[in-house]
Order: sequence, then C-alpha cells, then structure tokens
Amino acid sequence: MYRLSVDCLPHVLSFLHYVNISFNYSRFRSEISSKERRIKMKALILVGGFGTRLRPLTLSFPKPLVDFANKPMILHQIEALKAVGVDEVVLAINYQPEVMLNFLKDFEAKLEIKITCSQETEPMGTAGPLALARDKLVDGSGEPFFVLNSDVISEYPLKEMIEFHKAHGGEASIMVTKVDEPSKYGVVVMDETTGKVEKFVEKPKLFVGNKINAGIYLLNPSVLDKIELRPTSIEKETFPKIAAAQGLYAMVLPGFWMDIGQPRDYITGLRLYLDSLRKKSPAKLTTGAHIVGNVLVDETAKIGEGCLIGPDVAIGPGCVVESGVRLSRCTVMRGARIKKHACISSSIIGWHSTVGQWARIENMTILGEDVHVCDEIYTNGGVVLPHKEIKSNILKPEIVM
Amino acid sequence: MVSSMDEKVVAVIMVGGPTKGTRFRPLSLNIPKPLFPIAGQPMVHHPISACKRIPNLAQIYLVGFYEEREFALYVSAISNELKVPVRYLREDKPHGSAGGLYHFRNLIMEDDPSHIFLLNCDVCCSFPLPEMLEAHRKYGGIGTLLVIKVSPESASQFGELVADPVTNELLHYTEKPETFVSDRINCGVYVFTPDIFTAIRDVSSQTKDTGKSATLRRVSSVEALQPATRNSTDFVRLDQDILSPLAGKKQLYTYETMDFWEQIKSPGMSLRCSELYLSQFRLTSPQVLASGDGTKSAIVTGDVFIHPSAKVHPTAKIGPNVSISANARVGPGVRLISCIILDDVEIMENAVVTNAIVGWKSSIGRWSRAEGVYNSKLGVTILGDSVAVEDEVVVTSSIVLPNKTLNVSVQDEIIL
Repeated sequence: MYRLSVDCLPHVLSFLHYVNISFNYSRFRSEISSKERRIKMKALILVGGFGTRLRPLTLSFPKPLVDFANKPMILHQIEALKAVGVDEVVLAINYQPEVMLNFLKDFEAKLEIKITCSQETEPMGTAGPLALARDKLVDGSGEPFFVLNSDVISEYPLKEMIEFHKAHGGEASIMVTKVDEPSKYGVVVMDETTGKVEKFVEKPKLFVGNKINAGIYLLNPSVLDKIELRPTSIEKETFPKIAAAQGLYAMVLPGFWMDIGQPRDYITGLRLYLDSLRKKSPAKLTTGAHIVGNVLVDETAKIGEGCLIGPDVAIGPGCVVESGVRLSRCTVMRGARIKKHACISSSIIGWHSTVGQWARIENMTILGEDVHVCDEIYTNGGVVLPHKEIKSNILKPEIVM
Repeated sequence: MVSSMDEKVVAVIMVGGPTKGTRFRPLSLNIPKPLFPIAGQPMVHHPISACKRIPNLAQIYLVGFYEEREFALYVSAISNELKVPVRYLREDKPHGSAGGLYHFRNLIMEDDPSHIFLLNCDVCCSFPLPEMLEAHRKYGGIGTLLVIKVSPESASQFGELVADPVTNELLHYTEKPETFVSDRINCGVYVFTPDIFTAIRDVSSQTKDTGKSATLRRVSSVEALQPATRNSTDFVRLDQDILSPLAGKKQLYTYETMDFWEQIKSPGMSLRCSELYLSQFRLTSPQVLASGDGTKSAIVTGDVFIHPSAKVHPTAKIGPNVSISANARVGPGVRLISCIILDDVEIMENAVVTNAIVGWKSSIGRWSRAEGVYNSKLGVTILGDSVAVEDEVVVTSSIVLPNKTLNVSVQDEIIL
C-alpha cells in the first residue's frame, strides 16, 4: 500500500521517509516472487525556472502544468515513468511550488504514484538538483534512477533504455537524438556501434556529430557521488567525468523528440506527438467526416455542424467549437469557445478564451488565458497576454499587453 | 448656521481591480496598480494624504475589486501612520462608478458625514480638497466636480463639460465625445452631500421601470464578460447616469484647478506623475527630498527622492526626477535621470538609467544603459521584477517582463 503524500519542504530526512523506504523495500522483496518482476525505480524531473519562453501561457500556470495534447506537460512524463515501474517521482523546481502542489495531489491520487518536490533555493544548474534530491533518489536498492527534462516531449522508450543500461553495465546512460542543425545544441560525440560516449561539445562551430543530448538519463546511484551540492552543469562537469572513465553510454532515441519550451516548437511538437499516437494508439484520435488528419478531441468538448478540424489539432476539456469552424495545426485549451465561422491555423488558444464569429487567427498567434477576440477580427501572429479583449486587427506579429 | 467644525467628512477612493489594470503591465503583473510607487510612495498614498488635509475627516474607504489580502498590510500601516481609519472594501461585482458608492452607502453614512469625497486613485493632481469643500458649501448643490482646462485636442479622451462662468454651475456634461464640446474636463475628484445616494437610487429605479439603461453605452471588456449586468438595476455609472442628466439643474457645480493634472494610465505616465509629485514636495515638504554635492553623498540635481535605506555611492549623480526605493544600491559613477528605481535594485558601476522604470530586485550591469524615449512606440523603458541587464548592454524603449536576463542590446522590443 503506497503512502501518498506531497512533500514540498526543502529536502529534509523525515521519519515518514524512512517508513516509506521500508514499505517500498518490503514490497520490493515480495514482488520478486511475482511472475512479472516489477522493479521499483525513482525518477527526477528537472522542472527548473520561470518558463519565460512560453509566455503568455506561463503567466497563468507554471510551465509543467501548461497543457500539451490535452494534458499538463508533466503528466506525459509521469505517465511514461509509471509505465516502467517508477513508484516515486521527484520534481526539482525553483518557482511557484504552491501552485504545483494542488495539481500534484490530484495526479498522485489518480495515478497511484508518489510525487514529491525538491525545491532549489538558488538556481542549481542541471546537475545540482540531483545532489539536492539525493536522499529521495537513493533508496538502498541499487536501482538506477531516471532524470528527465520537463520541456521535452518524446515517445519515452524507457523500457528499452533500462535494457540498454543493464546491457552495457556502465554508470550512466543518456538518450540522444539526431538533429539537422547540431550547432544550436550540445553535441554528443559517441561510438556509433557501442554507444560509448567520447565527449560533449557545446554548440560546435565545425561538424563533430549530429546527435544531441535529448535530456533523458538513466543513472546509477553512484553518479550522485560525483555531483557536489552546488550549481553544476551535468553536461559540462558530471558527464565528461563519467565519459572519461568509460562509463557513459548513449542510446539513439527512436521516434520523435521535441523541446516544446517555446510556442513554435510546441506546435511542431503536437504534430509529431499526434503522428506517433496514430501509430501506437490510433483509437485515441478522433475520426469523422469533419476530421482531417490527426486530431485529438477531449470527450467533454463539443463540436458543431459543418466544421472542418485538422490536421494536427488538439481540443481540450470543456471546449465549445460552434458550427462552421475551420481549425488546423492548433491547440484549443480547456474551456475555450470558438464561435461560428471562425478560422484558426498554426496558433494556440489559451484557457477559457473566446474567438469571435468569422474571426481569422493564424501564423503563431498565441492567446493567453481569458483572451477574447471580437467578431470578424484578424490576427496574424498576435501574442496576447491574459485577460485582454482584442477589438481591432493585428496585422503583423506583435505582443499585446 | 451649523458650525462646520461639527460636520464630519468621509472620503472614498476608487482603486479599480486586476482585470481593468492591463494597461499598467508589466508592472501590474506583480503588484496592484494602486500600490505602485510614485515619487517614493504607493500611488494611492497621494490622494490619501491629500484627504488628511480635510478638516474633520472621519474615515477613508478604498473601494475596488482586488482581493482583500492585497491591501490588508498597506491599509493597516497607513491607518497607523496617518492616525485616520483607512479601510479597504471589496466590490463583489461591478456596480459602475456610482453604483459602487451606493453599494457601500451604509458604511459610508455610519459616521453621519455631511460631505463625501469621491476620488479616483489613478488621478495625479494637487488635490485641493479643503478648497473644494469650501466652494461646495457656498454653491449649495448636491455635488461639486474638480475640473481643469486642457488642450482642445486632448479633451476628447475625457469627460468634457461646460460650466457657467459666473455661478460655476455644471451646465452640460458628456463623456469622451467625438466632436469638440469644451476644453474643460472632469478631473475625477468630487465632493457630494448625502443627497447623492438619493440621486443614484432614482437612476437605478428609473432603469428598473424602463428596463434599459438611460443612455447608449459603450461596453467595457469587464462588462462584456458578465452579460448579466447589462440590464442590472444596480449598475450605475457616475458620468453618463448622474452627471449628464443632472447638469443644468442647479444641482452640480464645478471647481477649477490651475495646478497640474494627469491620469496615471500607463507605466510611462507614472514616471511623468512622479516628476509632478516630486516637484510638489519641493513646495510642501522639501525635507523629504534628497540633496548632496558629491562630497559625503552623491550629487543630487533637481527633485529626487531617496529612501533612507537605499545606498548611493558618493560618485554617482542623481536627478532630476529620480525616485529610489528601499534597499536599492547605486554603485560608483552611476548616472540616473528621470527614473523610478524600485526596491532591492542593484545598479553597478558607471551605468546610466534615463526615462526608465527598473523593477524590484533587478540588476543593471556595469556600463550598461537603460533608456526610454517618450514619444517612441513603446515609450519609457520598463524592466519588470528580477530582470538582469548584463554589463555594457543597452536597452532602449523596451519593455522586459519579469525574470529575464538581457545579454544583448535591444531596442523597441517587448521581451516576454
């Protein structure tokens, strides 16, 4: 029986924690004898900062709670972790823990997984949070733990990653993904056959490889011994150390990968995600005469007559799409209403917003929470902060405060 | 004649609410607009201290849509400081500018006041309230409006009115007219006798009878979101529903001010109004302003306010029109001109800040420059809270939202 709790105090060992460990351990032992051996693992999700690139959406909710494909971004990761047997997820955050808390209580109950927070009081970089959460990640079982980056959306082949990790026997495994423009990122130079990592090169000027760090790691608890409790970069300090000791291996991520930390990538990411959903669980997608391509519609949303929806559209809970509406390559978030005859493409419509009759919304328009676009308005790339009314056209991309 | 010494006066200051304050972003993202510092004091502090000059002031009410907790601290601090009870009242739903006053009439009339002042928090002026009260007593009407003459071009943004030059009676009033009516406008500062409540009640019962508003109305975004209030009987606006109909009936009068008047609608205006209040301090309370000649403390030129806890290096030059809030640190060789520096800001060596507002906890790097240009598209530069401008970076006429770091120069941009 899992003990459910949400603990957002900075990192303090407690009696409760010890009790949980012994619960987990005894359950672990009893599970060994069950037919399907389920390993109990831990995971850390690096949630980090303010999500400023996803403004205006992040003015209303912290980034992990911004919806992607009709559910909070972080839920995609938590569900993937739960599916491979992770029983405890630690969120490394440094911003708005109170807001996160309420949502986390909900997820914990629904998913039957323990979610705790590790709060940075000062920015700890990309490795420091692991050291900070040490006591939550190491439970004495010797099992490796996952580290995920909350901005990343992918297919999460975590089961394959566990097998890869056990096969090479090294201290750390990372997922890498192939990109067209590697010099925008940190490139991982590796042996293509064994996967052993030679080195990391940050934003290389010359071509050294086309695989970049996908932000998904599986690490042995001994890695934590190599991370000091101070602001540390995992790519610049920790991984190079492990690579030099021949202990770091990289697996090429099958399937799609996207850093959806900014609106343009969010929209591309949705396309990739829905594409992947078409292959894996096509039953989740919506079909019908008024649907084109991959479309995800929440069961509580209503769609009127004569609409044409898709491709690559997500319509969230409680949304109302009136008749005669055309939607393509866009996300309509919870509670939004799209009025008759409107046409929306390549845009994001924020929670509880409304789009007026005959309005035309296109070209990376982002409406924050509770934005109301009047009838017959045209917006071409307007980025609108929450609680605004748009009464006149936005003819070229601009920010409306 | 009843001695005016026995008559109590109550003041009501309308402070607005969060959804109406979007023009004050990004500063209003972290603090309610009425509490934003102007000339070293929260915006609402200026009308409140003006009220203190009214003889026999019994109570001050702040009326708005913000959560009570946002004003709780301020209200108790200011009550203690001024020794006058100040209370925040939250409107549960929009009642209109007059309806709000009417909604709280029982509380307002608790002290049995003979006169009630109604002020708008975002008005910047000299608040000649005792003089207005005197004039109002002589006129004998139910209300007196503060008015000011403006340029004919700008008049249409406000309520235009016509007053009798001899009796000062309000003859005609129209809100934001499309064609020119008059260059005298409504300042948003009023004094009423308790008869005003009867007048408001009569308007709302008239609405009840006819089933629709007395005049054609422009719908604000707040009202649009709540269709129920369109025909509500307790939604009464002061301008269209009270002032316009009662004009010319010997009930309303005007008092003209020759001093300054501005509305603090945008962050850029708050800088301009800070300047006006600082120059007013020069006349009324010069000890509040800073001074220095570079020997023991920084060179100060013009009207400058420096909070006692702020640290300013003696080699810095500050002013004119600069307001520095608590715990700010201004390093050696810094030049500050026409700016508002909020709490805990750090300005490093040799930086220059001009025509800008620097938000709480932000930092300005060495030799960097934050500059605003009033007439440009975005106007004065505004840095939200916890913004870091790195060394040697120039920020021109840009607005930067909280928690950003600027490591390249920007111009005419909004950084989300």
